[in-house]
Amino acid sequence: MYRENGQEIFVVDGHMHFWDANPENWRNEYGEGWIRCFYDFHTALSPEEYVWSFEKYCKYGEETLIDDLFSEGYVDVAILNSTYLYEFYKNGFNTHQQNNAIKAKYPDRFILCGSFDPRAEEAGLDAFRQMVEDYPIQGLKLYTAEWRNGSKGWRLNDPWAYKYFELAEELGVKNIHVHKGPTVYPLNRDAFDVADVDYAATDFPNLNFIIEHIGLPRLDDFCWIATQEKNVYAGMSVAMAFIHSRPKYFAEIVANLLFWLGEDRMIFGSDYAIWTPKWLIEKFMALELPDDIKEEYGVDLTPEAKRKVLGENAAGLYGIDISAHSEKLSQDEIGVKFAGSA
Amino acid sequence: MYDDVRLSLPDTLDQEVIFRQLERVLDPELDEPILKLGFVKSIEVESDHLTIELHLPTYWCAPNFSYMMAEDTRRELLTVGGIHDVTVRLKDHFAAKTIEAGVNTGKSFSQAFPDEASEDLCQLSDLFLRKGYIRRQERLLQNLKSVGLSLEEIAVRRIGDLYFEGESYRIRRNDGRICDVGEAEVARQYFQRRAEMNLDCSPAAPLIIDLRGREVTAEQLEKYLIRARTVRVALQANGSFCAAVLAARKGKN
Repeated sequence: MYRENGQEIFVVDGHMHFWDANPENWRNEYGEGWIRCFYDFHTALSPEEYVWSFEKYCKYGEETLIDDLFSEGYVDVAILNSTYLYEFYKNGFNTHQQNNAIKAKYPDRFILCGSFDPRAEEAGLDAFRQMVEDYPIQGLKLYTAEWRNGSKGWRLNDPWAYKYFELAEELGVKNIHVHKGPTVYPLNRDAFDVADVDYAATDFPNLNFIIEHIGLPRLDDFCWIATQEKNVYAGMSVAMAFIHSRPKYFAEIVANLLFWLGEDRMIFGSDYAIWTPKWLIEKFMALELPDDIKEEYGVDLTPEAKRKVLGENAAGLYGIDISAHSEKLSQDEIGVKFAGSA
Repeated sequence: MYDDVRLSLPDTLDQEVIFRQLERVLDPELDEPILKLGFVKSIEVESDHLTIELHLPTYWCAPNFSYMMAEDTRRELLTVGGIHDVTVRLKDHFAAKTIEAGVNTGKSFSQAFPDEASEDLCQLSDLFLRKGYIRRQERLLQNLKSVGLSLEEIAVRRIGDLYFEGESYRIRRNDGRICDVGEAEVARQYFQRRAEMNLDCSPAAPLIIDLRGREVTAEQLEKYLIRARTVRVALQANGSFCAAVLAARKGKN
């Protein structure tokens, strides 16, 4: 909960991770390369006082996470993104099985995302059904650029992907987070190209597509698509991190999202532990769009818009009743532990 | 000039010549010269053999874009007089070995990555050439607007209405007055890309044309500008990101 001038703002961190990138878990040099690249992002865009050591960054553990999100970081509910990366990490990077341990401990604090990979074809459909049966899966995190047996990626409009979306609808898993962001490793042409979102969003109007990292650096293509497709949302993690070192540029990104999508389809995310929510949220709350940008785009980031971006929009997608849920959270282990602080 | 670049050249070779050639190599996504972005780490020449070391912002910089930059670097430097062989090295990049082996023997991207790449890079390269065109044009349009030209007035300008004068450029307005607009570089870059894309650059051609060479009317210009603005912001994303990552990486080294 973010509190300011007697107001309370319910915060949903729309995108965070609980990863294990300990050297013992590296399968090969890619495991090391991956986490070092994340660490570069971390050091490049975090304010100096929030930079961790590489050792801590590889494995930060539950206590740190709980503290960074719920005590220091104003977060009420966090969306656990699952990323598998078995080709780089022996036990996976942060699988839904791993993530479920913390979800089970604090059930009202986390939303657990599972995943599917349509390249598993028929067998994967059964595994998907089983996953939803065995775990409290409320959303999906899809990673179209992930390697698999020599394949370097897939597309949301592949015929097999559609079979999985049909099953998602049938199972009532409606929120589909898709990683479309800075290129980490798409070898073949452009696996983070956002064009496939257009097809899937049109053909599955009952599903919501939250495009993580707003397609950066394909922000323009993302905006054209999101303007047409009302079930496409802007997942703002990564873009958020510009708020410290490039505030004017961040303001322009926000102006673009407000202009093309509007304040009802923008969702805050920290991408923890790449960055921590505390400074992102504080700076976001303090942000005012510069006058020239306001004038040029004809938009404004009002207090009302901030409330929506920080929590209300995501709460809406996941059917969270904010006042009832806040009440519940004040009684859970974390709520009791941190009562009075922050 | 580019003080960050470690140079080891024989006296007979002018560094200006090398830099001038290298300035033509752009990061395709950022539409900026790799020299200006600080990606060039060192250049060494021994007799007629030049070795250049590039340091891209991250270990994971997409191999397709990395390949393009390495390929362009080699091609441009091979045109320098007295240089007969060019070796490109990539520092701290996960695919350095494969990219170096491919680029330095003149292979295409798909030949270098036969199992992983199904097509060559022309299409991707074209896409960013076009985005860069919009970005450069947007800068020019913002210049014109900022000195008071209306969209109606902009829409009927011809290339011949634009003059270069020293480091700035000027425009002839509807009433015949000629006024200062901005830095010459803005207009030069726009025309350079326009020519690269084989669009009409004759004096009688409209100053503002779309990617297919069609005139943009005053009514269309407002929407056109709104879209162009977003393209510019999108292209800046990677630039901002790369610059920050590169700065942090340099600080650590």
